[in-house]
Parts: sequence; structure tokens; C-alpha cells
Amino acid sequence: MTNAIELEHLRYRPGKGFEIRDLDLHVPAGSIYGFLGPNGSGKTTTIRLVLGLLRPQAGQITVLGERMPDDAPRVLARVGYVPEQPHLDPTLTVRETMNFQAAFYPTWDGPRAEQLLGQFQLDEQRLFGRLSKGQKAKLMILLALAQRGELLVLDEPTDGLDPVVRRDILAALLEYVAQRRATIFISSHLVHELERICDWVAVMDDGRLVTEEPMDKLKNGTKRLRVAGARPPAALPQTPFVLLAREPAANGGGETWIVRDWRPEMTAYFETIGATLQDVIDLDLEDSFVELLRTFRAPAQGG
Amino acid sequence: MFRAILYSQWKWSRLIVVLGTVAGFALPIMSLQGAARADRGPLQAQELLRAVQSWGGLYPVLAAALGLLVAIATWAPDHRGRHVHALSLPLPRWRYVLLRFGSGVTLLVGPILAVLVGALLATTLASIPVGLQGYPLALALRFAMAVLVAYAVFFAVSAGTARTAGIILGVIGAVIVVQIVASVANVELDLLGKLQVVILNWPGPLAVFTGRWMLVDV
Repeated sequence: MTNAIELEHLRYRPGKGFEIRDLDLHVPAGSIYGFLGPNGSGKTTTIRLVLGLLRPQAGQITVLGERMPDDAPRVLARVGYVPEQPHLDPTLTVRETMNFQAAFYPTWDGPRAEQLLGQFQLDEQRLFGRLSKGQKAKLMILLALAQRGELLVLDEPTDGLDPVVRRDILAALLEYVAQRRATIFISSHLVHELERICDWVAVMDDGRLVTEEPMDKLKNGTKRLRVAGARPPAALPQTPFVLLAREPAANGGGETWIVRDWRPEMTAYFETIGATLQDVIDLDLEDSFVELLRTFRAPAQGG
Repeated sequence: MFRAILYSQWKWSRLIVVLGTVAGFALPIMSLQGAARADRGPLQAQELLRAVQSWGGLYPVLAAALGLLVAIATWAPDHRGRHVHALSLPLPRWRYVLLRFGSGVTLLVGPILAVLVGALLATTLASIPVGLQGYPLALALRFAMAVLVAYAVFFAVSAGTARTAGIILGVIGAVIVVQIVASVANVELDLLGKLQVVILNWPGPLAVFTGRWMLVDV
């Protein structure tokens, strides 16, 4: 499978504080790739690097098979982008904004734009600056979709929107993917939203990649285990899964383990260490996300 | 593409351009208002020259103001959107800058033409004393040069970030401070005078703004 986006050993340091460090990402072509992370984790900076808006200090960026930012004009003609903040000219009307955008994209799909205009119920004579937040988001999605890009890069496109608008936007995105087999790279901190639509997910924190894996693997492989009679951590042999956290259970009996890459046959491991696995509890994506971040941050807090 | 950018720029600059066009048309006409009749003697001709000269000071002011305001308006939508939209468009940055620059120049054609038409009309309708001549075309050309120089300078400054503007202001401030310190310390150093010579005297970049701006001259 080819990748729509590939980042290799990316490094970017805009100032003294924040830094993107040794970032590797592989976004499979045709996937809906969720890019998760708390506010300030570097999602928007990464997206700007991917699109050539920023120049990395080190590393390699390949988008749709071309090097960025060197081939940015060619790549951007094939990419629809919805930034985090509305950035369009507030003095242009909806219609004028569409005309402006159409002038720059040879693949502009006029009929599709008209269809989306009706579907999103946007008033074409209204100034962009006077649209509500939801209407602005819809217009930006309209522009990105009407460009007929092979790749859509969406930076928190539904952040702060009401559920009805969110649903409209997500439905339009899914329809687009079904029709065009495009790749969607969508960043968000709304975990539940990504859980519904994404088939791949990456988690970022403090400029570093925490994990990148198929959504199913992350969801099905991250578990909370109730364990009794386990030895202290130092005396524990190598685990077949990734042990993210180990803490006393809330009710005082045994321990709670948070593990990754869990498979049912691994229950046998507990017999070998003389412990009892009492329960295996599924975590949803949000719980997995929280546990991943907690574990990821723990060594730094300790040291 | 050019049409799209020109249209968006027109929406930001139209008030400036319309007011500049009206002012550009009115200025030559006002400067020859009550122009001398043909029977006027040498003294009246001198009065006319003085009047034309005093109005002439307004042309470089208008040119500089138009250049400044249109340059600011040219970059205003991009600054407002933190350049994200501009940078995400599928064209090289140099080409985008050229399109922006070109559309600003196109909008400035209006006020320049207005000066030309106003100057032609004023010199045609006025009775110019013997020995004096009208120079509408030369005045309009000089005005065009001044507008374009001012626009180019302010376009370049406006294109930069707040940091760039800060550096430019810092350099200007440093020159002034050095000059003040030198005068207080009785050191013979005329930085401002030298700068003035370099910038405002021919072939300095802003030489077009200096000298006499005469619609009617000997």
C-alpha cells in the first residue's frame, strides 16, 4: 500500500519552547487518518509542515509522492485544506469566495460546489465575515471538496460546532471518500468523532508521536485488566503485551493493569507468573487515548 | 487568477482608489483655478507660477498617500488571515506576490489617469500667459512614477511581518538617536543630512518626490 503522506525524522523548532522531534508518520492512501492530540501537542504545526506552509529544520516530507515543501504548488493543486481558523477574505461574499477559489484550481468541480451550496444551505450573497462559525466551517469544507483533491487535510474542522453541523460535515466527507477514494487526514481532539469515521489513528503529544496504528488495533488491543496476586514490577518477566500502567485497584483488591497489543491468548501469561486474571475490560478510544498520554508523560514527570 | 486577486483587492481598496481618483482629477484643475487671462502681464504670470507651485506640493503627498494606502490594503486580507490561505494556494510564492503587486498597480492606474485627464483639461481650459506653458503629460508621468515608487516601497514593507517592520523602525530610530547623541556631544556628524542626500537627491530612490511639481512653467 502506498502512502499519501510520509514524514521521516521530521524536526521543527519555531522558538525556544515547543519542538517537533523526530516525527515519523505514514498515512496510507485511501484511508481516513485521525490525528489526535491535546491542544498544543503540535498537530497544527505538523499539518502546516505537511502542506509546505512551514519549512522543517530536518527530515523529509513526501505528500502524494512529491517532496515538500519543494513541490508545494504541484502538491497543493491536489490537496484540499481546511485550516483550524477561518482564514478567508471577510469582505468577499460566499459566491465571490467560491469564484476566487475556482480561479486557482483547474480541477474545480462547479456543479458539485453548487450542490454543496444548496445542501449546506449557505446564502451566497452573505459576506464571509458575517457568517456564523458553523456556516464558515461548511463553506471551507465546500471549497475543499469542490477542489476534487486526492487528499483532504482537515485541521479540527468541526471544533466548536453544534452536533447538527458536525454531522452534516462528516456526512459530506464520508460521501466524498466513498465517491473519490480520497485520503483524509483529519486532526481533532474530539476523540469520539474520530472513532466513528477513522480507520487509522495517530496520537501526538508535546511534539512527539505517541503511537500510530490502525483504529481497530488501538481500540481492540488496549484493555484494562483486573489482576490478583502479581509479583512486584521488578520481579515480573517480559510481558507479551505492552504494559502501559499498573496501579492498585480502586476497591483495594488486586491491581489494575492498562495494556496495549492485547490478544485473548495472552491470558496464559498470568498462569506463568502465578497471578490470576480476574477481568478484561474493553476501553473505548477516549480511554485508550487518555491512558496512552498518561503513560507517555509519566517518565518525563518522574525524571 | 489575476482577475480573482484584482477583484478581492478592489474590494479592500475601492474607497482609497475612488477618493484618490477624485483628488487626482481635482488637483490640476484647482491649481489653475482663476488662471491668468491672456492679457495678464509678467507680474500676474509670476503670481500664477507661485499658485501652481504651492498646489504642486500636494502631488507628491497624494502620490505617497496613495502608494502607502493601496500597499497596505493589498496585503490586508493576507495579514488578516495570517497568510494561511495565500500559502495554501497552488502557486509559487513569487507568482502570488507578483499577482498581488500587479493588481495593486492596476488599481493605481485610475488615479494616475485622473491626474492626466485633470491636467489636460485644466491646461486646455485655462488661458495661460504668454511665455508660460502647460506640462500635463510630464506632470502625469512624474505623478505615475512617484505613485509607483511609493507603492513599491510600502508594498515591500507591508509584505513583511511585524518583526520586519520593527527592524525597519529600529534602524530609523537608531539613526535618529545617533544623530541626537552626536549633536549633544558636539561631534561633527550629519547622518540625517547624508541620508537625505542619498535618498532624496538624484539618483536616490525617492528623488522623484522632490523638486518643483509644476503643471504650468516657463
